[in-house]
Amino acid sequence: MEKKILEFANILRKSGIRVSTAEAIDSFVALEELSLEDREIFKDALRTTMVKRGEEIATYDHLFDLFWSGFYDNLRESFGQATGGMPEGMDIEDLLRAIAQMLQSGAAESGDISELARALLTADLSQLENLIRMAAEQAGTQRIENFLQVGFFSRRTLEQMGMEGAADQLRQLADRLEQAGMSPEQIQALRNLIDRLLEAVRRSVRAYTERELQKQNHDYMEKFRRETLLEKSFYHLTEDEIRKMREVVERLAQRIKNVLSIRRRRLKRGKLDLRQTLRRNMSHGGIPFELIFKQRKKDRPKLVILTDVSSSVANVSRFMLQFVYSLQEAFTKIRSFVFVAELGEVTPLFQEKDISDAIEAALEGGDTINVYTRSNFGYAFHHFWQNFLSAIDNKTTVLILGDARNNYNDPRAWCLRDIHNKAKNVVWLNPENPSAWGFGDSVMDKYLPYCDVAEECRNLRQLSKIVDSLLL
Amino acid sequence: MSKFESVEQVLEKLSKEHYIADKNIATVVFLADKLEKPVLIEGPAGVGKTELAKVVANATGRRLIRLQCYEGLDEAKALYEWEYSKQLLYTQILKERFTEKMAGAASLRDAAEKVGEEDSVFFSQHFIVPRPLLTAITSDEPQLLLIDEVDKSDPEFEAFLLEVLSDFQVTVPELGTIHAKQRPLVFLTSNNAREMSDALKRRCLHLYIDYPSQELEARILETKVPGVGQLLIQDVVGMMHKLRALDLKKTPSISETLDWARALLALNASDLDEEIVSQTFNVILKYEGDVRKAQAELDKLLQKKAGEAAAKAPGAAATANPAATKKGALH
Repeated sequence: MEKKILEFANILRKSGIRVSTAEAIDSFVALEELSLEDREIFKDALRTTMVKRGEEIATYDHLFDLFWSGFYDNLRESFGQATGGMPEGMDIEDLLRAIAQMLQSGAAESGDISELARALLTADLSQLENLIRMAAEQAGTQRIENFLQVGFFSRRTLEQMGMEGAADQLRQLADRLEQAGMSPEQIQALRNLIDRLLEAVRRSVRAYTERELQKQNHDYMEKFRRETLLEKSFYHLTEDEIRKMREVVERLAQRIKNVLSIRRRRLKRGKLDLRQTLRRNMSHGGIPFELIFKQRKKDRPKLVILTDVSSSVANVSRFMLQFVYSLQEAFTKIRSFVFVAELGEVTPLFQEKDISDAIEAALEGGDTINVYTRSNFGYAFHHFWQNFLSAIDNKTTVLILGDARNNYNDPRAWCLRDIHNKAKNVVWLNPENPSAWGFGDSVMDKYLPYCDVAEECRNLRQLSKIVDSLLL
Repeated sequence: MSKFESVEQVLEKLSKEHYIADKNIATVVFLADKLEKPVLIEGPAGVGKTELAKVVANATGRRLIRLQCYEGLDEAKALYEWEYSKQLLYTQILKERFTEKMAGAASLRDAAEKVGEEDSVFFSQHFIVPRPLLTAITSDEPQLLLIDEVDKSDPEFEAFLLEVLSDFQVTVPELGTIHAKQRPLVFLTSNNAREMSDALKRRCLHLYIDYPSQELEARILETKVPGVGQLLIQDVVGMMHKLRALDLKKTPSISETLDWARALLALNASDLDEEIVSQTFNVILKYEGDVRKAQAELDKLLQKKAGEAAAKAPGAAATANPAATKKGALH
């Protein structure tokens, strides 16, 4: 049992559920206290000791069903089919009883019958299940990695079980029973039954191998995809991946938040605050029992975001907005603007709606701008310079997201220069590779002198690194 | 206090305390009791996490000690504090005794040593203010320690909890390490405002309480709000489940179901119709936006019921009217 639980823990780990050895041991102890007859309790006991995250419960349930059950039912079903197709007027029970009688009376020599053959004849499914499991283990089925190997491992398992031998034995048995005087109809039925039984075994073994593959691979792809999502370029995301990505962004933001709270606390303690200390200790007769320290305040940055929402960079914009707004409390104030050629403020959207709705609305231009035009960075910056320059002070970080593909319009870099002069710093995120900056209609090179930081930002990993450094 | 003997017994004892649990909850409670391990309870707000701890305390005859977590909670408020003013007061009162004692001291060093001998007078149990954690550990009687909303506490506090939870001991530098006389049963609840560290999770059993199934919720309603008719129970529970499927800012929970049922009972409603539902939406939905969203879907939410209602329209109308008039009085 313990071995099986460890194996199960291993499979959970493969699917990304972290199960420590201590937790696996907890589950042994827990099971000792419980009666194992109730499957539900067994399942709950394993879960409570090994799975500690709400969102992992669905995965656990799925794997539990795969691992702990189902195969027996599967076996029963295929054998039910095999034994069901008897010719009319003949019952499988009768047939088997007849065989047993003949064997007992010594009318026919039973010969050497392997365990497998006996299990088949007596329809002993649990013994059969055992045999399949053991053989599969010897065949190394637990090492199966992909679908192409199902055939190979099924064959090996069958070999290990001694399938051919058992088939021969059963056929010989039928022959001997015939000689011993069994009626021709019965013999014919028996032969058919044997064939069907053998076929059922083959199918069951194959099913077992497939389950094993599922077990080993469950969520493996999922995990793989999540990992690669971090690296995958925003340009090449499918609809489905965009949905998945949202969760990943959420999780990254949460992690940064956690780290942030620790960082803040470390920064807090500053010099001794004499005045406060004296005041606080007046009740102790002026004896300084309690010391008060000045709290060093780390300025939370103010953020002004200018986001290009033209279709070419919409995905990048989406995730950056989500990221920044998931971290809202880390900033004193966020004002966000979207532009294609015109520029409009979308800050109110984020106050009224929840994040994902607000983002979708912002990407549509938020009722303030027309998004179906060609990008014109110069025009947008000029507009900002005219109307919103007052939004920037020396504590503000200006975050610009865009590919700087200006469609050969006037870049009006001087607007950015003025923004740069007023702001604490200007950070430009460009989804294009730096080697492409300034080529074709890209005017990145014109803007570059006025950016304190200009980074390539094509995937989530880069994005999270940049956001993190903003907060430091 | 007695230990539970089986999962079934847990279910039974909990239901005696009017807490309707499913088998999952019972299994975890049983194991926590048997293995003396803390339980981390997670789940949406208002599904009865804190309630479970209280009920288990009652069922096992343990005293409940509650530690409410919040941002900025530190050891001094959770574990113990030296009572400065009392110490100060005592020094003032005992000043003369000190002078007497010091009279014989030949040198400064001698005097300091003599004072040092009396150290333990001032740093003793006498001057310590035990906070919930220390109380739970030092008590002679069996306790149930409820650490509520642990996700609201700071990561540092969580690290400090680890010592308490794994060994049931705390270290007071002046007094040494104090071991638990009786291992308290520990329940931690979390609303997942922040994910707890793996180290903490490893030491705990984990229980995820989700919104209950329709059948379970109906049973909860039946026990918690006596006097509610079956028809109303079915209506209310059905409606709640449909509401939870909507994309709401705050999904209504069991506590809202109970509040609602009580409100409807007070209004004398025997089943739900459009009028009474829209009048009482503010009991279950806490945001203006949510109410609006639900109002818009109201037809759909009540749709299935239209047929049934038509069948016994006279009865329903008769009860709906007095309810509507009473409603005015309630506001």
